[in-house]
Amino acid sequence: MSAAYLEAAGLEVRFGGLLALRDCSFTVESGRITCLVGPNGAGKTTIFNVITGFLKPNQGNVAFKGQSLDGLTPQAIVGTGIARTFQNLRLFVDLTALDNVLVGLPAQAGEEPIGAIFRPLHVARAQKRRREEALATLDHVGLADRAHEYVRNLSYGEQKLLTVARVLATGAELLLLDEPASGLSAGALDGIMALLRRLQSEGKTLLVVEHNTRVVQQIADEVLFLHQGHLMATGSPAKIISDPALAEIYFGGAI
Amino acid sequence: MDFLFSYIALAEVYVLLGLSTNLLVGIAGIFSVSQAAVFGVGAYIVAQLLMTETMGFVPAMLVASLVCIALNVLVTLPSLRVSGDYFVVTSFGIQLLATAVFINWTQGTGGANGLPGIPPPDLFGVMLETNAQLVMLTTVSVGLGCLAFWLIMRAPFGRLLRAIREDELAVAAVGKGVLQAKVSAAALAGAFAGSAGGLYATFLSFIDPVSFDLDASILLLTMVVVGGARTLAGSIIGPFLLLALPQVLTFIDIPTTIAASARQLIYGVLLIVFMLFRPQGLAGEKL
Repeated sequence: MSAAYLEAAGLEVRFGGLLALRDCSFTVESGRITCLVGPNGAGKTTIFNVITGFLKPNQGNVAFKGQSLDGLTPQAIVGTGIARTFQNLRLFVDLTALDNVLVGLPAQAGEEPIGAIFRPLHVARAQKRRREEALATLDHVGLADRAHEYVRNLSYGEQKLLTVARVLATGAELLLLDEPASGLSAGALDGIMALLRRLQSEGKTLLVVEHNTRVVQQIADEVLFLHQGHLMATGSPAKIISDPALAEIYFGGAI
Repeated sequence: MDFLFSYIALAEVYVLLGLSTNLLVGIAGIFSVSQAAVFGVGAYIVAQLLMTETMGFVPAMLVASLVCIALNVLVTLPSLRVSGDYFVVTSFGIQLLATAVFINWTQGTGGANGLPGIPPPDLFGVMLETNAQLVMLTTVSVGLGCLAFWLIMRAPFGRLLRAIREDELAVAAVGKGVLQAKVSAAALAGAFAGSAGGLYATFLSFIDPVSFDLDASILLLTMVVVGGARTLAGSIIGPFLLLALPQVLTFIDIPTTIAASARQLIYGVLLIVFMLFRPQGLAGEKL
């Protein structure tokens, strides 16, 4: 059997006395939308932090396409093709939407001072192409007409779309989206679900933290149910949602 | 006429310093209060190299810039580990340390008495002795500095620094090297401050530690705040405006001892007023 696309094995993360993840193992298959669900504090965002290198697990490791991500910096992990969004967005609010996307584009001419100062024409030409790429990315998520708006003037829904545009700009093939649908109006919700499905049809693999069961049912190919830092169940959304024991944990808050 | 020339030359030296401070503090968000120390090191190096006739003005400026690049990277390194408020305190300590060295290392700096008799700059064998020639030198230097600053601001590097100021973690999450960019910004700011020091020393022909102490660092920050953070125009307006102030005070008939403290007082009030009511300065963005 060939190596899994993304495989986490035996992850353990300890914050002082708290075990955020314990013996947590799961796989994500290429080209699918996998939803990570579970009650608050289950460790969903911690998993994102471990995969993207922001947090070193006390035990266990993550492998992407058969290659261990152990010891790689967040920068290097983006280089392997994994990028994430944040639950609290973390956009650059004093920059325009276009600039937020431009920051995400990989390896640009003039990204260091020597090139910027001594090869201005080369940088300007390269920038022109990059701006078009960034505009196309914005167009892809439906924000083309907001390109020159400062982020702080965008609606919450637009800001969420912009976080997706920013990870797309990195060129990553595996996108980790932290609650892309939370806090959105019904209309915006349909928009983002359609976008996620479109990204899947374009060959992206998505790992999505999501609370809204309606969203999970509609987009997920596979659901990973996390409880107290441990993978409790995995399966189709219908199977997970119809499991009374899981529903009890999720909605009833039982220990 | 001489009076006007010396005002312009001095203001231009401070424009270079303003660019340095703006790049570091305004754009990259590395809140350094030790830029005057780096300025001083540049000034003392050029002064010593010219006074001992070790080399000409141009190579001396190069040496000063290189040393200040290394020095500024070194003193900025803590900002890569400690953030925000903690770095201000660290940087404050570095400034005090530098002032102590400037005052006490009498062999190198002449101590509190300063270094008199610094020779004028020479360019390819021509001594620049008149004020008009010196203004030309500072103007060309400042022109180059402004050009570099402008090019950086419109290049991806400028955008990356702005993004880093807002959210380092998010920058790392899109796969960019935060460390590398910060070190580059510190190096550039060091080169600007070091060459400003060299111009200052040769223009005045006398330097002493007072020009490079904490007050000077704060004056620099005031210039950037009043002129306008993060913009080229702000870095130019601030120094010209604030350096005009002492000249204006000389027209008012008050004793010189009072004038000096009145100036400090006005600088302080300006800093507070601008921070409270116009944080974007005259031509800038909110700090």
